[in-house]
Amino acid sequence: MTRILFSDKLDNCIARWRAAGLTVFGPVKTDTLSSYAAIEHASDFDFESVLPDRSIKDLFFPQTEPMLRYTIKKRAIDTEDFAPPNDKRIIFGARPCDASGLAIDDSLFGWDYKDEYWIQRRNESVIVSIACTKADDFCLCSSLNLAPDSSTGSDVLLRPLENNKGWVVEELTDRGHEAFLAIAELLQDGSDPIAPIAAVPEKFDLDTCVAWLQNHDNFESKFWKEISMRCIGCGSCTYLCPTCHCFDIQDEGDTYSGIRRKNWDSCSFALFTMHTSGHNPRATQSARWRQRIMHKFNYFPGKFNVNSCSGCGRCSRQCPVDMGITETLQKISTLQP
Amino acid sequence: MITQEKYRTRVKELLASNSVKMVIGYKQGSTADRRRPLFVRSFEEADELVLDSNCIGNLAGYLVTEGLLSDEKRVGIFLRPEGIRSINILAAESQLNPEQIIIFGFDTSGREVKALQGEQAEDFSGLIDSLKEKPPEKSSDALLYRIDQMNTEERFAFWKDEFSRCIKCYACRQACPMCYCRRCIVDSNQPQWINTSSHTLGNFEWNIVRAFHLAGRCVGCGNCDRACPVNIPLRFINARMAQEVFESFDHYAGTSQTQEPVLASFNKDDSETFIL
Ligand code: SF4
Ligand code: SF4
Ligand code: SF4
Ligand code: SF4
Repeated sequence: MTRILFSDKLDNCIARWRAAGLTVFGPVKTDTLSSYAAIEHASDFDFESVLPDRSIKDLFFPQTEPMLRYTIKKRAIDTEDFAPPNDKRIIFGARPCDASGLAIDDSLFGWDYKDEYWIQRRNESVIVSIACTKADDFCLCSSLNLAPDSSTGSDVLLRPLENNKGWVVEELTDRGHEAFLAIAELLQDGSDPIAPIAAVPEKFDLDTCVAWLQNHDNFESKFWKEISMRCIGCGSCTYLCPTCHCFDIQDEGDTYSGIRRKNWDSCSFALFTMHTSGHNPRATQSARWRQRIMHKFNYFPGKFNVNSCSGCGRCSRQCPVDMGITETLQKISTLQP
Repeated sequence: MITQEKYRTRVKELLASNSVKMVIGYKQGSTADRRRPLFVRSFEEADELVLDSNCIGNLAGYLVTEGLLSDEKRVGIFLRPEGIRSINILAAESQLNPEQIIIFGFDTSGREVKALQGEQAEDFSGLIDSLKEKPPEKSSDALLYRIDQMNTEERFAFWKDEFSRCIKCYACRQACPMCYCRRCIVDSNQPQWINTSSHTLGNFEWNIVRAFHLAGRCVGCGNCDRACPVNIPLRFINARMAQEVFESFDHYAGTSQTQEPVLASFNKDDSETFIL
């Protein structure tokens, strides 16, 4: 016997959560784009697509975030902080790769400097993931020690029943338990058959890749130029990536007052490492692509013990010149370490 | 298939006789329908060349990659008519020497691919003139029709909504063969002319600046539109600008290697509707 949330109860659940002061988010699809957005009714959800075009990162680390307002006076500078938002949220229907992405970035944003915007939003959000029953050719979680039913980063994991009848509920954290207390009486016991999870074939052997990346001789390998010759440095792989977390701090305003903002930035851009002198240590696009791979699979795991990639495949899915993590790592896995 | 084979053979001839150092074409991509850019330097690579109706992207932007043409060697490239027009603009704006470019011209109708006669940009001037004669696309696109019917407020609201999704990745710029500036105005930060944030104002600033910089230069290849990860229908902005410069100045981007940039030249017969 397992605890089940039947699909026809979902509208009730949403109403209860909203009544309890939670904003409910989930995968939503419009004519133009799919993303995680606030919803009001069960019918607003898009459970059909493999995954939303935009990653869950948007809800925790927006493209632009005001940090402080400043006013320069005769003898002083007044500043006023923008407090991190205080909005209790439940994100229903997160994909396991997106939830894992959050857990990956927790290690960075909670590291030496505590990023209060990220941490506050994480503390105020309950992540309810749904195991994937569908995948496409770009999904690669299984190559990264994850799976279509990974629970990493989730507060509750739901396993879909056959015929979209509902989900088996697995509470994983206190936060998840608390959120589901509010709807406890809408859950039922049952033994309905669970739908099989998506098949995501392994695309490369990660350990082989990591060994190659860790060999210093390969830093200057010709491989980097060959594999990235067609990269146009558009950066959209990093902007859609749930785990890419680089940002730039900018002051916007006039001479005497303005707003300091935290804006996304990307190692795919030439400007990312440009020095004031004009010297650029990553002068070529291949050096930038190498940084992206090295950071995700060598430097980041070296520091935090986890890869900075959760295998969502967005980078490859939308790259205008059909590049991506998979092609690069597949090729690396065939090279001599 | 016939054109593909013909071009593979021609690429090999040119490589064998050292007439080109590289040919930029297409190969099979990661899904059945995807084609990706290919840089051919060997016979093996020439055998990977694919030419079919899925070869959509305009490859001309690769020609202005820093250092590619500075040794004065020739480079071959697969181009549709719009791509050939971009070569003319790049030549007119002194970004490349068109004599260094060997063109493998092609066009498609439905699934059919046909080769275009000629190898140097100027060989195609007849073709491009004939394209100019056709009025700029008042396309049958339903969305374009809808935008055309809107009044100013509605149109402003439409674009505000579209731009609200912009994440300022600048993929549109990077994918565009006409956006070759080594330092884009949005990357100039002394002073910072354009806000880097992607709030409403920043998104408007960026998209309007790009529209103006592309007026009379956009060849309508659609690279920006396809690259935009948030699906903003950028093609309509540039198509509209193309229509405006065509109607006001009889200017069709990329007709020749000596064409003057429409916003940087004048003619005494230019209409002066904006001077009261
Ligand atoms: S890999 Fe693709 S998406 Fe990423 S920067 Fe290069 S061209 Fe853009
Ligand atoms: S690197 Fe690519 S596959 Fe990995 S998490 Fe980022 S977008 Fe997804
Ligand atoms: S891959 Fe690049 S953009 Fe992404 S986190 Fe690493 S350095 Fe930053
Ligand atoms: S490609 Fe799209 S999202 Fe990116 S900067 Fe251009 S309009 Fe904005």
